[in-house]
Amino acid sequence: MKGLLPYRLPREPSTPRIRVAQVQCFPSLHGPGWRTLSGPWVSAHAVCNHGFVQGYVAGQASAAAGGRVAVGFTLEQVTVRRGAAVVLDAVTCQIPAGTCTAVVGRSGAGKSTLLRLLNRLAEPASGRILLDGRPLAELDVLALRRRVGLVAQTPVLLTDRVLDDLRVGCPDLREDQAAALLERAGLPAAMLHRATAGLSGGEAQRVCLARALAVGPAVLLADEPTSALDPHSAAAVEAALNDLTAAGTTVVLVSHNAAQARRLASEVLVLDHGRLAERGPAGLVNYLREART
Amino acid sequence: MSASVPTWAGVAASAALVAVAAAVAWRQRLHLAREIAVAGLRAAAQLTAVGAVLLLVFRHGGIAAAAGWLALMVVIAGQVAAHRAKGMPRATAAATAAVAAGTAATLGVLLGLGVIAAQARVVIPVGGMIVAGAMQATALVLIRLREEARAAAPAIEARLALGLPASQAFAPHQRTTLRTALIPAVDSTKVVGLISLPGAMTGLILAGVNPLTAIRYQIIVMYMLLAAAALAALTAARLAERALFDHAHRLRPIEATPVPRAAAWRRS
Repeated sequence: MKGLLPYRLPREPSTPRIRVAQVQCFPSLHGPGWRTLSGPWVSAHAVCNHGFVQGYVAGQASAAAGGRVAVGFTLEQVTVRRGAAVVLDAVTCQIPAGTCTAVVGRSGAGKSTLLRLLNRLAEPASGRILLDGRPLAELDVLALRRRVGLVAQTPVLLTDRVLDDLRVGCPDLREDQAAALLERAGLPAAMLHRATAGLSGGEAQRVCLARALAVGPAVLLADEPTSALDPHSAAAVEAALNDLTAAGTTVVLVSHNAAQARRLASEVLVLDHGRLAERGPAGLVNYLREART
Repeated sequence: MSASVPTWAGVAASAALVAVAAAVAWRQRLHLAREIAVAGLRAAAQLTAVGAVLLLVFRHGGIAAAAGWLALMVVIAGQVAAHRAKGMPRATAAATAAVAAGTAATLGVLLGLGVIAAQARVVIPVGGMIVAGAMQATALVLIRLREEARAAAPAIEARLALGLPASQAFAPHQRTTLRTALIPAVDSTKVVGLISLPGAMTGLILAGVNPLTAIRYQIIVMYMLLAAAALAALTAARLAERALFDHAHRLRPIEATPVPRAAAWRRS
């Protein structure tokens, strides 16, 4: 049975007003009625993050409200060139909200480029990308990047102390909040006052994850987040990503590890030489079934 | 005042020193004798030409010609500084603007406060020193920022990905660069007189001016070089930031540093 939940959202002068028109969810988790949410980005992501709704969010734009529903990313005929080389070739696909989507393929297939398009660190030569029905180019790029966080393949720490690193994107972060973030990323809270210079690769990667989460993103882009890590650290990062997906955050994972994609993702996009070769649920994608790694 | 300025005959006699250098090069088979002779002749020709032009400007041109002369120096300095920062987008415009800003502000203050006279024979040499100082700082800033933008791209993009605007994402790199670019001016100000007797002061003493008068000029020169370096470096850094990032707060791709000629020659 599906419940139908209308959410009325407050009108604030400086924030976009988004009406979530239709939320399909599990009836046992909530009762029907009106709820009010506030914050700079009130969207179905926020509804999910709020903790009382968990599930699949779908719907269409509410034209009357002038807002859009969280439907995730839509790529339409996206082409990226680097010099004469075509990095992505007319890729059209959907990355649904509230789930983990894995982007897999050989190195050089365009996986990282696709990820960088989603927070506008890269720009397509042609085609367009929409987030929740709105073209990325129309959104304020700085707000977009706070909404769509990124964990890079190689961890880069920016300050001398772990706590200061977590505060780079969120200067007002309190110590207890920072400690909670570390724990979400699988690190002990005591690490907060450690020097970043002495961290191992696995610890640094998890600090980077916590730093991205400090901004409160609705979407997390993870670019091969475990490729440089030992199995124990990799498992901790995977667990953290799993928790995020369970809490309703949209996760887009670039991975060359088929087993990891199977463990974490519900949707899989397979790229081959810049083209979208295959897409579908993780259990049904041939690329993952063939690559038994 | 007993000015002991060498005569033309003295200058000709001093060419013997060039011959000494050339002889050393020839005896040691350095393959430099010819180059030393050419360099000696070039120096004489260039300086004679500059002297003649300066004479004309001082006699007939007045302050307007001095301004034109300075503008030409700024343009040349901009080209030289930009050449060092090859690969950075719009480097020539940024370098020229930075040298111009540093020169105009510093010279403006000196003239405005009446520290120096608004005469061609004062404005041109003082302006020349300012342009040279501004050029050095500008070149250092542009070289360093280009290298930072390339080498520290992951850190810059990590900050951008956290939603920081380009100016904030680049600020730590700009700060270290500005420090580096200002160190030569600061250090030479620190040690002036102790380990170096600078040009302006030396020139005045040679021309027979009392040393306590000569140092007055040198103190002003050191102060103005500090200001020129600081202003030019700051302007260059701001303009470089605009050149290195696009409107969507993204690092623009930077062309690879061109292969030096010698290396290219060795490869082929």
